[in-house]
Amino acid sequence: MPQERLHTVSLSGVDQKVRVATLYRKFGPAIYSRCRRLLKDDARAEDATQEVFVRVLRHIESAPDDAAALAWIYRISTNFCLNHIRDRTRQAEPTAPEDMPELSENPEPEMLDRELAMRLVERSPEKIRAAAVLYYIDGLEQEQVASTLGISRRTVINRLQEFVERSRKFVTRGASEVA
Amino acid sequence: MSTNARGHLSSETLDLLLLSALDAPQATSAKAHLSTCEVCNSRWAEVNEDKQRFEQFVFARTLPKVEAAAEQSLHPLGKFNLRWLMPTLGLVTAGVAAFVVHAALAGAGSHVEDPYVGVKGQAPILEVFAMREAGHPFPVKRGQALKPKDRIRFVVNPAGAKYVLVASRDGKGAFTVYHPFGATESERIAGAEGPKKIELSSTIELDDTAGPEQLVAVFSDQPVAARDVETALVANPAAPSVPHAQVVSWEFVKEAN
Repeated sequence: MPQERLHTVSLSGVDQKVRVATLYRKFGPAIYSRCRRLLKDDARAEDATQEVFVRVLRHIESAPDDAAALAWIYRISTNFCLNHIRDRTRQAEPTAPEDMPELSENPEPEMLDRELAMRLVERSPEKIRAAAVLYYIDGLEQEQVASTLGISRRTVINRLQEFVERSRKFVTRGASEVA
Repeated sequence: MSTNARGHLSSETLDLLLLSALDAPQATSAKAHLSTCEVCNSRWAEVNEDKQRFEQFVFARTLPKVEAAAEQSLHPLGKFNLRWLMPTLGLVTAGVAAFVVHAALAGAGSHVEDPYVGVKGQAPILEVFAMREAGHPFPVKRGQALKPKDRIRFVVNPAGAKYVLVASRDGKGAFTVYHPFGATESERIAGAEGPKKIELSSTIELDDTAGPEQLVAVFSDQPVAARDVETALVANPAAPSVPHAQVVSWEFVKEAN
């Protein structure tokens, strides 16, 4: 097997270690905070922060501004944490617990409770989770959710509608079974 | 207006405020909202607490691992060979099969410039593989578009030749020896006896010069000077000719990001 030698044709001239540490210090808190919020576990959040940072490093290096860098961070950390949650909780709650409130026609006020929103996200189908997280937990607008995930706004609207319908059914069924 | 349609600050706004990346009016508006909204104020306190926790405990504890992982990710030397060579072997096998079929169709007398056409064992071959970010390596077809920061590697079948040099002329006419990188003459190929494929050791990270880029692999029995290759490329880019050597020519397009 040949001994590989890497040659970079265009040299930035900036020490890589310094650059990585600087970017980690700058964007690490946003990633960590996000992972903590989604994973609800400090140790896992710490591990996830390292993983996510390495994955977003190239993107944030080439991002034109901090908002663009954050969009990559949201996209990658959301997917990473949701995958982690999926692997951790193979069994979803079969029915809604008693402490879950009924959801109104427009559930946005209820979704301000991020604990509740996250519990509903965890038991929803995978394809709609990321949109629900970005919209309800992060408070992004539909347009921002669309550009962050690289999908159309129409798709975002459909996924959010499906999320709300499924969540409402879940909560209602749980309530009727409790009754 | 810093609030979203639901009347609150989004995570993005809070994170940008924390990074001091909002412009002055937006920052003022966000701070004004924080002073009146309990929900957002509570979230603002959370992100500040997380930041403190990160800086006090997490940063120092995790930085070495991050640096090591970033090094692997950006310049994956040791790991790169495995991830790079394993899929390549499969592709090389497929390439040989394609070659044999192609050779049967093309017959003797085909040009050596086309790496896939020729008589097996007589015409040298150049194959180019690329890897984008942390993805899987993929074979590069002639004329295919590549991007800045893509990394490319070369697989050759020297067909008995003892020396090889791979060089490039980019869209601005800049000449660079890619293998052996920066050298003034070609390199002796280790294990070149017999018709077999060999992965060269150089990995090239592409710069951001857009446009067509021409690659040549020059195979010979004696060392060839890089300046002779450059002269040949300038004189006849379509079919460069170097005395006492066989030249395999290749072109791809570098697109801006």
